[in-house]
Amino acid sequence: MRAGLGDAEAAGGRDAALVRLYHVSKSYLAGTWALHDITLEIGKGEFVFLTGPSGAGKTSLLRLIFAAERPSDGQILILGRNVGRARESAIPPLRRRIGVVFQDFKLLPRRTVEENVKLALDVVGTPAREARARTFAILKQVGLQHRRHHHPLSLSGGEQQRVAIARALVNEPELLLADEPTGNLDPEMALEILELISGAAARGTTVLVATHDQTILRRYRRRTLRLEGGRLVEDTPAPGTQP
Amino acid sequence: MSDPRPLRALSARALYFGRTALRGLRASPLTSMVAVLTIAVTLVLSGAFALVVKNMQGLLERIGEDVTVTAYLADGLGDQERAALAARVQTVEGVQEVVSVSKDEARRRFERAGQGRADLLQALGENPLPASLEISLAPDRRNAEGVRIVVESLQGLPGIAELANAQDWVQGYAGVLSLLRAVGVGLGIVLALATLLIVSNTIRLAVYARRDEIEILTLVGASRTFVAIPFLLEGALQGALGGALAVGGLAGLYRLALPSLASALTLVFGDTPPAFFAPSEMLVLVAIGALLGVVSSAASLAGGLRQ
Repeated sequence: MRAGLGDAEAAGGRDAALVRLYHVSKSYLAGTWALHDITLEIGKGEFVFLTGPSGAGKTSLLRLIFAAERPSDGQILILGRNVGRARESAIPPLRRRIGVVFQDFKLLPRRTVEENVKLALDVVGTPAREARARTFAILKQVGLQHRRHHHPLSLSGGEQQRVAIARALVNEPELLLADEPTGNLDPEMALEILELISGAAARGTTVLVATHDQTILRRYRRRTLRLEGGRLVEDTPAPGTQP
Repeated sequence: MSDPRPLRALSARALYFGRTALRGLRASPLTSMVAVLTIAVTLVLSGAFALVVKNMQGLLERIGEDVTVTAYLADGLGDQERAALAARVQTVEGVQEVVSVSKDEARRRFERAGQGRADLLQALGENPLPASLEISLAPDRRNAEGVRIVVESLQGLPGIAELANAQDWVQGYAGVLSLLRAVGVGLGIVLALATLLIVSNTIRLAVYARRDEIEILTLVGASRTFVAIPFLLEGALQGALGGALAVGGLAGLYRLALPSLASALTLVFGDTPPAFFAPSEMLVLVAIGALLGVVSSAASLAGGLRQ
């Protein structure tokens, strides 16, 4: 391991960066690297795409950022916390500050839309009345307030992804991660989902979206990180911004 | 992100835990039923043992309360000599009261208790029953050690032919009781371990069936404790339900079996009617069930929840 960075140092460093990776590598099998020597920073309020072919390491990178995995080497600072060195008990509080959206939605089929979204509020102990109000508000924001008593399987794929986005945003996270959020959706639905994510970014949430959908990348033209074979091969700034 | 006040957050979490535990019971009724019945069967078997031991213990305590020593007197002792001996015995430390029983009185008692066998004595001609002194002990001497001390003091007094007391019988009964208690505890431990194994495996199935929920909970920031508490609560509910079922089952068995076992029970418990568990003891049985459920859940969760 390289010299460690403490939480305090991270906090006292470039404040604007919510995500900082220093020479991060991840290996699941000895001798093969899912990610190799990745160094990057994502500033507060940025909307960044992570792209690359299948197997490039996009999901592995997201999993490292929301602390589902620990790096094999290097340092990861997320919201001022050194994830690689954090105690296990420090991970849940960190995750409450991060919203995550997956390609397969990860909704509970036996719970209603409202219950699925409220789960994120139950975890932080939000009182019932406040939780109901906030759930209603976020479902209204994604256009699903009228379907709050339905079960996920009775909804279309696009609607299910909107529920997942509502659950990710209901706690007002500082960082929103989305792993191929439009992978299972038709192009029209995909754009609707990206509009919601883009809206969250416009309200100040830092967003990192993994996608290999070129239509989306061309349409939104944001800073784009490109992974290939586990290496960061390109970091293209948004048009009109300084690299 | 708002920061709900701790008390409100705590009550919101408690509500969530209770709701989730009940939802868990409803979601897997078959595994829940297996867990409840396993705990109930264990507690019925252990409870039945405890009930027998409790009644024997009760009898032993009651026997202890009216323990007496009987001194059978030598033949040919006159009334005056018997009265003098009774007065002498009365002075022995630990003796509370002495009742003198003449040969004739002993015969009358035999005839009353003999219920139609009085002709046995008539067949013998001369009254073979000895006169005796019935010696009751001071309350602090009504135990095996107290009896032994009094008996030693009486031994060798002129006029006393034989001393009889319930000391040996009480000790034998107490020995059987200790053995039963040890067997009951051993049986309870073996059954509890078997129950833990069965119930923890059924709960493991429930955990496996809800792995998606656990994954999503950890993704939205739930701690291990937060994920585990509903499962522990579910185990406690299953255990308490099993305990309540066991109490009901035992009460039913007790009522059904009592009439047909009455004569056999008289041999073990004497004239004392057997007693069922007191309400507080029933609660203890339910609490033991709940504890079994919680420990089984904890065993099935140990190492099973990863962040």
